[in-house]
Amino acid sequence: MDKINLKEIKCISYERAEIKKGYTDKSLRVNLDANKITISPIEERIKNKFIGGKGYDLWLMWNAVKASTKWNDPENTICISSGPLGGTPGYPGGGKSIVTSISPLTGAPIDSNVGGYFGPYKKFSGFDVIQVDGKAKKDTIIFIDGIENKIKILEANNLPTDSYELSDVLTRHFDVDKPVNVSVVTAGPGAEHTNFGCLNFSWWDAGRKRVRYKQAGRGGIGTVFADKKVKAIVARFGAISMKSNNPADLDALKLVTKSHSKEIRELDPKQNRMSLVGTTHLVPIMNDHDCLPVHNFKFGSHPESRVIGEEVYEHIFDKGFDGCWKGCTVACSHGVKDFSPFTGPYSGKKVFVDGPEYETVAGCGSSLGIFDAHTIIEINFYCDAYGMDTISVGTSLAFVMECFENKLITLDHTGGMDLSFGNRFNALEIIHQMARGEGFGAIVGKGIRQMKQIFAKDFGADMAFMQDIGMESKGLEFSEYMTKESLAQQGGYGLALKGPQHDEAWLIFLDMVHNFMPTFEDKAEALHWFPMFRTWFGLCGLCKLPWNDIIPEDNKNTSEPAKVAKHLGWYADFFSAVTGRKSSPEDLISMSEAVYNFQRIFNLKMGFGTREHDTLPYRAVGPVTVEEYESRQERYDEQLKEKYELDISNMDSKEKVAVLRQKREEQYELLKNAVYKRRGWNNNGIPTVETVNRLGIDFPEVLEVLKKNGVE
Amino acid sequence: MIEVDEKKMPWSKNLTMASLLATLENVEFCSVVRLNGRLVSSPKFAETIIPDNSKIQLLPLVAGG
Repeated sequence: MDKINLKEIKCISYERAEIKKGYTDKSLRVNLDANKITISPIEERIKNKFIGGKGYDLWLMWNAVKASTKWNDPENTICISSGPLGGTPGYPGGGKSIVTSISPLTGAPIDSNVGGYFGPYKKFSGFDVIQVDGKAKKDTIIFIDGIENKIKILEANNLPTDSYELSDVLTRHFDVDKPVNVSVVTAGPGAEHTNFGCLNFSWWDAGRKRVRYKQAGRGGIGTVFADKKVKAIVARFGAISMKSNNPADLDALKLVTKSHSKEIRELDPKQNRMSLVGTTHLVPIMNDHDCLPVHNFKFGSHPESRVIGEEVYEHIFDKGFDGCWKGCTVACSHGVKDFSPFTGPYSGKKVFVDGPEYETVAGCGSSLGIFDAHTIIEINFYCDAYGMDTISVGTSLAFVMECFENKLITLDHTGGMDLSFGNRFNALEIIHQMARGEGFGAIVGKGIRQMKQIFAKDFGADMAFMQDIGMESKGLEFSEYMTKESLAQQGGYGLALKGPQHDEAWLIFLDMVHNFMPTFEDKAEALHWFPMFRTWFGLCGLCKLPWNDIIPEDNKNTSEPAKVAKHLGWYADFFSAVTGRKSSPEDLISMSEAVYNFQRIFNLKMGFGTREHDTLPYRAVGPVTVEEYESRQERYDEQLKEKYELDISNMDSKEKVAVLRQKREEQYELLKNAVYKRRGWNNNGIPTVETVNRLGIDFPEVLEVLKKNGVE
Repeated sequence: MIEVDEKKMPWSKNLTMASLLATLENVEFCSVVRLNGRLVSSPKFAETIIPDNSKIQLLPLVAGG
């Protein structure tokens, strides 16, 4: 292709802030309306309360948007932050970025936690957080050069359109001699034409001498990025060491890093083998526990699932170091070398595919009835290259397929394509259409919530049935776990602030398998502490996996094995060593609780964040159809008889479906009551004044939002 | 003999995964094992016969994804 053409619109030189105990105490704002670049100090009170990462993002967004702001308004803001612990080489999962914006899917704040080197490079270039608002008139690149100490806004022409090529071209362009110094954030054509555009965050794979990327997938932040005409944000920085964060106690940092890293290196090969198979080990495990979504979450297992799990991908993944952060010993970011797609613009060419992970295998495989590892890899490749979230793509397509099989939509609507479960060629064609914004794919790309409206209004489809089977809550498509038999995980999805994504709470095993939380109060307690620890990783710039996906051998002998206390102790030590703020595991919860409640009130500010928004499609709670009921009849009959003490001898399956539904929906509402109470919220799901006072987030503007909603 | 988490244990004919786990302490978080490298989950413990000379690793699965 022709040489890319970048025209400098704005350039400032700056004095790079010295890192002190993990912080630069500076934020960078780039306003694209005025091409204005502003560097501001971060106040001590904000640092103490919001910690960093998602906390900083949310605070800046809160001040940037109005209650009436929509995702495509200029004032909508994309924030990317690292966190005080982010950028610690060798600490497992120690290099994450946290991205937020107002979501095109939910209308509320969305957050996504992603690997790659961008967050640390941005921070070491002098900025804890970058805030991008306004809208450019032409395609734009923002360049943060931490080596030359310059920020540039560049008008871009003749760039590759997809993320796969664009990441590579820009990496080589911005440091031709040392591409390892560059990390780029890009979207793609799918982000322009769908509501679930993702962002690709790159790093240079020195072993393979190529660009790799991970995705900030959820909620359509890539769509906002594309709407602002941002083609890329590039960060450039040089060598990084343990000293880069200028930690308060370097020796303590080295000790805790070595301890956690060593344990993972020793135990991962004995446990989940993530350094070998990524998260694909979950496919057979979820299948055997009836938790793998099959045919749009109708069923939880399928006899062919073995061919899309770890036993297959172990042999397909390219061998080599696959950490998305420097020296990470989890190293789960595997990929497929020399893959040759059989459709689309890369048909017949050899490409490197980053993935698939469990979520992509389940969402774009089993949930679509596609039990073919290579088709899943191809879907993974195009979703990334086009800049589309594989979870929303998979869950949306699964909904479409079930609608098609139930004749809610027909060949007349799909452009003549048979979209029955298992039709892998047409699934791929829909994905190409989504990226181009053409045909039926353009409708699918709007996401399930909007599709339901379109199918009902334009095609006459049954809205009540679609509400039951459309796997979205708050407007966000479900990630890939079946929750019918885990009330706690129903809460984990339904009560998650941003919508049904498992990164906030994953309680299926603790609840359904281990029966660790038999009462509502037990579940509510778990739905307090689990999301708080998970939130903390997003405040600090860390990955969630090393906490409780690799378990110390003596964990079973501890008083609370579910919390993996040894690791929480290490995280507290890690925080203390870098920031100098002496912390205990309990302190991690209180740090998170303030930000968590602030985000809930942010939802409220945007017109959401109350009980009615914590609802689930019934498919997540129990069997919608007679077919589903009868597929697990023994289980459901027993529950009706034993748990609910009902005489079902004269009931047919349809009646049993109805009565089970009534019981299970009651249970979910009771769970909400218990969780709201535990979290210090009123019965409508709004934090009380007492709670915000206790957490120190009783800012006047917060109290004003509460007052507007009848809480004072 | 079989190896469970690198410890030698006696083997008997028709030994199932469920019956093996019933003899062990502190296995309430063990819902998945690796039996000779292959994952076996708790719903299949009762039907899984352990061959002689097997190597078994107990996976303490708490979270996931």
